[in-house]
Parts: sequence; C-alpha cells; structure tokens
Amino acid sequence: MAELLVQQLVNWITLGCIYALLAIGFSLIFGVLNVIHFSHGDVAMTAPFITLALAQALATALGASGPAWLVLAVPVAVLAVGLIGVLLDKVVIRRFRDAPAMMALVATVALGIVIRELIRHLYPQGSNPHAFPRLVSGMAFEISGVAISWFALLVVVLTVALVAMLFVFLRMTPLGLRIRAASEDRVVARMMGIRDARVFRATFFIASAIGAIAGLLFASYAGVTRFDFGVMAGLLGFSAAVIGGLGSMPGAILGGLIIAGIEVLAQTFVPDGASYRLVFVFLLVIAVLIFRPAGLLGRTVMEKV
Amino acid sequence: MQGRASPDVPGIAAATVFAIASQIIGAAFLYLILRVDGGWQVVGLLALLGLGFYLLERLPWIADYALASFARVPLVAMITAAVIVLAFPFFVGSNTYILHLLIVAELYAVLALALNFQLGSANIPNFATGASYGIGAYVSALLAINFGVSFWLTLPVAALAATLFGFIIGIPSMRTRDTYLALVTIAFGVVVQQLLNNFSWTGGPNGLVGIPAPSLFGHSFADPLVIFGWKLPSQANFYYLSAALVVVAIVTAHRLHGSRIGLAWNALRADEIAAKAQGINVAWFKVLAFAVDAFLAAFAGTIYAFYVSYISPDNFTFLVSVTIMTMVIVGGMDNIFGVIVGAFLLTILPEKLRAFADYRLLFFGVVIIGFLMIRPQGLFPQRMRRYGGEP
Repeated sequence: MAELLVQQLVNWITLGCIYALLAIGFSLIFGVLNVIHFSHGDVAMTAPFITLALAQALATALGASGPAWLVLAVPVAVLAVGLIGVLLDKVVIRRFRDAPAMMALVATVALGIVIRELIRHLYPQGSNPHAFPRLVSGMAFEISGVAISWFALLVVVLTVALVAMLFVFLRMTPLGLRIRAASEDRVVARMMGIRDARVFRATFFIASAIGAIAGLLFASYAGVTRFDFGVMAGLLGFSAAVIGGLGSMPGAILGGLIIAGIEVLAQTFVPDGASYRLVFVFLLVIAVLIFRPAGLLGRTVMEKV
Repeated sequence: MQGRASPDVPGIAAATVFAIASQIIGAAFLYLILRVDGGWQVVGLLALLGLGFYLLERLPWIADYALASFARVPLVAMITAAVIVLAFPFFVGSNTYILHLLIVAELYAVLALALNFQLGSANIPNFATGASYGIGAYVSALLAINFGVSFWLTLPVAALAATLFGFIIGIPSMRTRDTYLALVTIAFGVVVQQLLNNFSWTGGPNGLVGIPAPSLFGHSFADPLVIFGWKLPSQANFYYLSAALVVVAIVTAHRLHGSRIGLAWNALRADEIAAKAQGINVAWFKVLAFAVDAFLAAFAGTIYAFYVSYISPDNFTFLVSVTIMTMVIVGGMDNIFGVIVGAFLLTILPEKLRAFADYRLLFFGVVIIGFLMIRPQGLFPQRMRRYGGEP
C-alpha cells in the first residue's frame, strides 16, 4: 500500500507540474490580452513534432542516430514554438483582443483546428501516433521501495526552475514590470508609455515556450504523441488555469496540481476509473466554479455601474 | 422602417416581384452549390457568394429594400418560401446525397436557432448544445430500442429530459460568467460525452444501432415517399420532417424575440446590472435561456437519431458544440435569417470542400478565422429592434 501511495504521489506531482506549466501559459496570455488562447494546447503539442522532425533531420544529415540529436533538438523546438506563438498573436489573436470574449474563443478554437491539421499534413504520416522517447531515462533513487525515475525528477526540477525564473522575470525586470502593468490595465499602461506590441510579443513568446516545454514533457510522459493531443492538453491546461483563477500564477500551479490529483485519484482508487477520469476532472471543475465562481485564487471583481 | 419614414418604400407590385424573385434566386443558388462537385466550380460559386456579401456591405440600401419588400407583402413571401421548401426535393430528384446534406443542414439550423437564444439574444456562452443534442438523441433512441416507444412519443420525452439537463447547466450560470461560464458548459459537455462513451447501457463507444424508422398514418419513413405519382427517396420523409421542425424553431424564435422574454434577454446582453435594476429576474432568464436551448436541441437530436438509425458519442463531441457556436457567430447573432444561412453554409461548405479531400478541415478553420476577422458582426448583423408602429 505504501509503495502504491508513493508511486501515485510521484505520478501526481509529475502530471501536476506538466498541467501547471500549460496553465501558466493560459493565465499569462489571459492576464495581458484578456483573450482565451484556446489553441495554446495545440501550439504546445507542436513541440514534440518539431523535436522529432529536427532530430530526424540531424540524424540523416550527419549520420549516426542517437539520443544526442534529441537533446540538441529540444531547445531549438522550444524557441521555434515560442516564435510560432508570437506569429499567431500577430496574425490572428491580437485582432480579437477588443472583440467580444466568445468571438476570440471561437477564433482560437478554429486556430487550433488549423494547427492540428497542419501538423497532420506537414509531418510524415501525421495521422498516426508517433513514439516519443523519454527525455531522460533510468532510475534516480529509491524511496521506501519505489524507484523514482530521472524523468520525474527532471519534470519537478524544470517546473520549479521555470516558475522561479518567471517570478524573477515578472517581478524584477523592466519588461516584466511592463507585462504586469499591461495586465493590470492596458489603457493606463499605454498612457504610461508602455508599447503594448512589445508586451504582447514577449508574453506570447514566454507563454508558448513554456507551453512547448510542457508539451515535450507531456509527450515524454505518455511516451507517444499524436496530432490531436493538443485538444486534451489544451482543455486540461485551460481548466487548471480557470479553477486556479485566470491571471494568477500561483492559481495556475494550484489548478494544475488539483486537476492532476483528481485524475490520479480516479485512476487509482475508483474501479474502472481510467475511462471515467475526465468525468471526475470536469465534475470537479464544475463544483469548484459553483462555489468559487472566479476560481480558487482569482480576484472576485465586484461589478459597479 | 425603424420609425423613420423612408422615401423608398416599394410598391406592392415591385415588392411582390422582389420577394418572389429573390427567394427563387436564393434557392437556385443553393441548388447549384449542392449540385456541383468539381473543386473549381465550388470556388467560383463561393466567389459569387462573396461578391454578393461585398455588395450588401457596400450598398446597405439593398438589405433595407429587401426587408421593406418582405414586410410589404409578408403573405406572398411566406407562400413563396413554403412552395420552394416543398418543391425542392422534386428538383433534387433521386440524388439522396443532396437530400442528406439538406436534412443535416436543417437539423443544424434548428440547433443554431436554439443556441441563438443564448449566444445571440442574451450573450451567454454555451458549449453544451452538442450535449443537449446528444441527450435528445440518446433518450429517444433508448426508449425506441428498449421499450418500442413510437417516435412521436419519444419526441416530448427526449425534449423534457434535455430541458432538465438545461436547467442543471443553467444553475452555475447564476454565479459564473463569461470565460468561467464557458468552461462550466464545456465541462458539462465533456462529462456527458464521456459518460455516453463509458456507460454500457448506452452502447459505449459503439453507440446504439438499429433505431427503428418512425411512421405516420401507416406510412413508414423508411419507405419512398410517393406524391401525385412522383416517387421521392425515403430521405424526403425526413427532409419534410426537419423542415417542419425548422419552421417550429423559426416561429418559436420569432415569438420569443417579440415577447417580454426576448426583450429581457436583450436587456441582459446590453447590461446585466441595468437589467437587474429594471426588475428583470436575471437568474431566471439566464436559466430559461439554457432550458429553451436544450429543449429545441433535443428535438433535433431525436430526428437525427431516427434518421441515421445509428448514433455514437462521436456525434456529440465538444467540436460539434463549437461548430454550432460558429454557425451562430458567422451567420449573425440574434438574426434568425442569418443564423439559418450560417448553419446551411457551414454544413454544406465542408462537404463541398471534399473536392480538396484531406485539406478540408484545414480550409474550414481558415475560412472561419477569416470570417471572424473580416466580418466580425456576422454575415447578417442583427437589426435594431422595432418598437411600435409598422411602417
């Protein structure tokens, strides 16, 4: 029992960190643009494909396939996805920042379709699932008879490092200050001489790059990736961001951990729970929003006339 | 029009000619786009359609003139519409594929009109219309398969079940709003779809098979329809049935729009706090919008189930709800005619894009984004409410 518990605890933390990284992207973009970037999950899930394609290309160009190419491909893919995010913002999403919220939602859902279809067509045999290797393999150490994998360790360390970096960036750099200002009030920020185009670019780059890392970890955790994994990744990340409270970083992390927690709990303790796990997750989402309509850590804005 | 005396109110004769001619042209266009199957012909027709909307945009008096003529001779307009709808299958003849497309388009028109009460009139997001649609389909199919209940009896039962579901989704809507409410409805939609996918008594991922065809006055809907010696394929039965449902939906939408309920929804859309201050029971009208949406969606679901006689959870996913939302937004929120055009366009377009085979979903996504960017208010923007006197 203790073994099972520890094992599930590790699963929970690993998955929770991945969801938290996805949720941070949603929250960051919503905070600044007030737009739900529903295709964020799809953007994130392009990262595994770009990595695979790059590793493949490197292997054929330089010969001698090996995990080394993968390690080389990962940072390039993360950068590329960050730039994809910036491009999507410039071409599509920014135009909806002042439109009714539903319009932006539908537009980004359509954008998600476009991204998925592009992956399907551009990647060779894109309709099929593709194996994605663990970024690191092997066991790190043991806790009460349960071996903790390097991968789980990597996920946790990477998440903590990214969150810390994001925190420092938002709190202590001039650009971070501008992002926070624009997130507080875009119009006033503009009056203070903050160029919002730059803020949007930076926000989308950071959010998409973090999403790319989450997407790589997600594919690595599942061991496989497919062109339409972005739908679920997006829905779960979005849910995590919303139940935590949109625009709140600690909320995004909390939301990710909660969503992962209920998923792992359902899989472990409910008979046949694996097939019902989404039911539990989304029932929890509904319950949270009934009692905390602005999310757990979200600011409840009293509307005044 | 709109309270001001417009100098160009058409005469009775001109109005009659315009009302008949414009509808025949519209029907002919629909017929053509359904008939062609070469990729470039579709592109050409779409370009023609684009040109039409461009003209409407540039010359707004065309729309005013059209509305004025229809208002001048409403009876003529309605009779023409009825004749066109009734006669359409005779022109299509034995081409069952076109009839199938038309039936699906009609059902989507009903779904879009249902969602329009919320999204259009009250600006409440709802990503669970697909779920209500599914509940309607499953309830009626289960009743028919397990208990042999006739189609006509399952209709109200399915509608009641879905309405109950609508009330349940409506409850969180009293507290949450905008994005948060959107997520609640998404969550409801996913939960329903996942449950349908996992329960054994709903057939799981395999769905339900062998839903018996309905019959009316001894005429089974699976048999060809024979009218005055003309023999129409069996799909024609469902074509007329769904057309009747569209008419019911239009009348409902029209009456609700003109009633205090429609007015209350519009007030909610304009400003919730102001509406509350006017003494409108905001919570009740929000929940009511969900219930009406689910009620109509269940009707469409029931007809769909009996028409294809096979349903599976894949027919009622989150993407179906998104498609319905897109129809309302592309067509024009709170505009009954626009919503129907949106539903027809977005049902037929992906099918016609089959000429582009594998790329059609990609195309579809690009077209939607393009629409939202170029014409964010929809093809047919809502008009100002007319208070009081007829022109």
